[in-house]
Amino acid sequence: MLVIRPLESRDLDDLYAMAQNAGKGLTTLPADRDLLERKIHLARDTFNQRCAPEAGLYLFALEDITTRKAVGISGIQARVGLDEVFYNYRLSVTVNASKELGVHVRTPTLHLSNDMTDTSEICSLLLSDDYKGGGNGLLLSRCRFMYLDEFRKHFSDKVFAEMRGVSDSNGQSPLWDALGSKFFDMEFSQADVLSGLGNKAFIAELMPKYPIYLPMLPESARAVVGKVHNNTAPALKMLQAEGFNFNGLVDIFDGGPVVEAFIHNIRTVRESVNRHAMVTRKPIDLEVPVSERAMVSNRSFQDFRVATIPMNCVDPDTVKLPPEVAEALRIESGDPVRLAPLKDSGPWAGHHYRERNIQYREVR
Amino acid sequence: MWLVRPARPDDLDQILDIAGAQCARLSSTLPRQSEALARKIEHSLASFRGDTLDGEPPRFLFVLENTDTGGVDGTAAIDARAGNGQPFYNYRRDALIHASHELGVSRRVEVLYPSHGLTDHTLLCSFSIRNELRDTNAFELLSRSRLLFIAEHREWFSSRVVVEIQGVQTETGNVPFWDSLGRHFFNMDFETADQYSGMLSKTFIAELMPPNPVYVTLLSLAAQKALGQAHQLTLPNLELLKREGFQAGSYLDIFDAGPVLEARTDTLHTVVTSRRKTLHASHEDSGDVCLISAGDGEGFRCTLTPVAESLDDQLKVPVKTWQILGKTAGDPVRIAPL
Repeated sequence: MLVIRPLESRDLDDLYAMAQNAGKGLTTLPADRDLLERKIHLARDTFNQRCAPEAGLYLFALEDITTRKAVGISGIQARVGLDEVFYNYRLSVTVNASKELGVHVRTPTLHLSNDMTDTSEICSLLLSDDYKGGGNGLLLSRCRFMYLDEFRKHFSDKVFAEMRGVSDSNGQSPLWDALGSKFFDMEFSQADVLSGLGNKAFIAELMPKYPIYLPMLPESARAVVGKVHNNTAPALKMLQAEGFNFNGLVDIFDGGPVVEAFIHNIRTVRESVNRHAMVTRKPIDLEVPVSERAMVSNRSFQDFRVATIPMNCVDPDTVKLPPEVAEALRIESGDPVRLAPLKDSGPWAGHHYRERNIQYREVR
Repeated sequence: MWLVRPARPDDLDQILDIAGAQCARLSSTLPRQSEALARKIEHSLASFRGDTLDGEPPRFLFVLENTDTGGVDGTAAIDARAGNGQPFYNYRRDALIHASHELGVSRRVEVLYPSHGLTDHTLLCSFSIRNELRDTNAFELLSRSRLLFIAEHREWFSSRVVVEIQGVQTETGNVPFWDSLGRHFFNMDFETADQYSGMLSKTFIAELMPPNPVYVTLLSLAAQKALGQAHQLTLPNLELLKREGFQAGSYLDIFDAGPVLEARTDTLHTVVTSRRKTLHASHEDSGDVCLISAGDGEGFRCTLTPVAESLDDQLKVPVKTWQILGKTAGDPVRIAPL
């Protein structure tokens, strides 16, 4: 059984191994032990409320209960752009028109922006290869929306994700080659590593500040602005299903899109329901298809835990939990829990129950 | 003999003929349509008289006349105020240092800024001459006669003079700088844009030109190479202007990135070295050939003459020079060495 829990110091080795296997392209989690250790430390301080709320970095581990190993990680950065400057390009349109000549030309233009400053970001998703499939990626990503929903005052109303842009198997990014490299004599992969080590703002200082007219870039570069890497396409699809949309901003290095959503509009948030736990001795088969599973969280700020259970465990007022799940969530019968469907497709029994729940209360 | 004088309405057809034979860039200041040209000549004549039409700043159009045939073989003009009351567009080539102390990097980044900085400077323009005269004194006469005119009417002109030199164009007529930049925004080829620039108000440039600075490094390599480079055909003129004291600064033409030459009016070679003298007769037809001009405004004439003697303020030249200038003994003239 797998459970989401806050990242802990003992996860360093597992995390380092995962980062090493992930290779290039994961800028927020480079395979650098010291950096990872600092991140874990910051995450611990965040959950224990020992740091300023806006400086918080919420990192969650996906733990295999049997082996006690961390097999995945995902995170929320409480705010971006506060201690260093956060840059994006805004993809907008410049129109030049002359009535006299009957000319009307639209020029796609990249404007340097800091628009995401002071916004919460979901980031750092990494799942070990052995655990891919079976809804583990969904759990790792969506558990964050349950957390955002529970503790909204710690986050901005809007949350965004930077999607990895196009690069080839050699780590060459067409946009970087046509734009960034002209201003910064460096390979994309090298710039990417530096940016993961926290030097992104420094590099950004070397980037062009005036708008970039896209027609001046080669076709190969124009084609990747706002496009995601093939490996990231499933993640984009998942976020789109949650209600995230391209907000017109792209990464200044590889042109990958920024997607955003208001927390109250996120599907997982909208479809969440509250129940009380009822630990049952009756055997429950946990191995049901992904579409029939629900996430269940213990609603704890400091020790946030999420597991999955079959949807048919959810009753009008309560949710039946087998002891091992209750133990993994560190809860007992009667404790409040929050539920949301794991997968967007398929019926969510909760809708039905939620409505009945309301009626029931009114009758009472 | 060669005579430079103000253009007259009856020169129209011959001017059109010359303009048509020249390469594209000229049209930006010398229209190829007869109505536009007729208006330009009319405006020029008014300017020579010291009047202006519709409050527009003065613009002077000169022609090179072959006095033996009466034919017009070249044109040259001065716009007293570049832009003629509207913005005068250029790119200013400048540099920014993109530096990061933390990364130990410092990089020079070249940028082209849209600029109106040369607006209202005096502009030499519309220079054209028949190809067979390119290597003769007539070439120098036509170009420098304008400077004698400026020296004689200094108060009509500003303290700085600029000249736009045609930029690089390939044999097939492509302009690398235009193809890399302007084409994307104007959605037309170079020739068309250049003609509009001669025919229409410059409003369309303001409307269509990219409003933000342009990074040189994002231009095509051919366009980068063309920055500030003069067209092969203009090299003799460029040399002559440099001898006058003109220098290429940081301004470039917005269409073809040709250099814009700049000089202080009062330090121009012809302005400094030309002298006012009184006309006297010489019975010989020998001596050093000099530029000589006479007459105010619409009576302005400039030609080449052998100078027999030039003592104090007396200038002895052949009588046929008098006739060409339309002057007689005792009249004031201005003289400059070739």
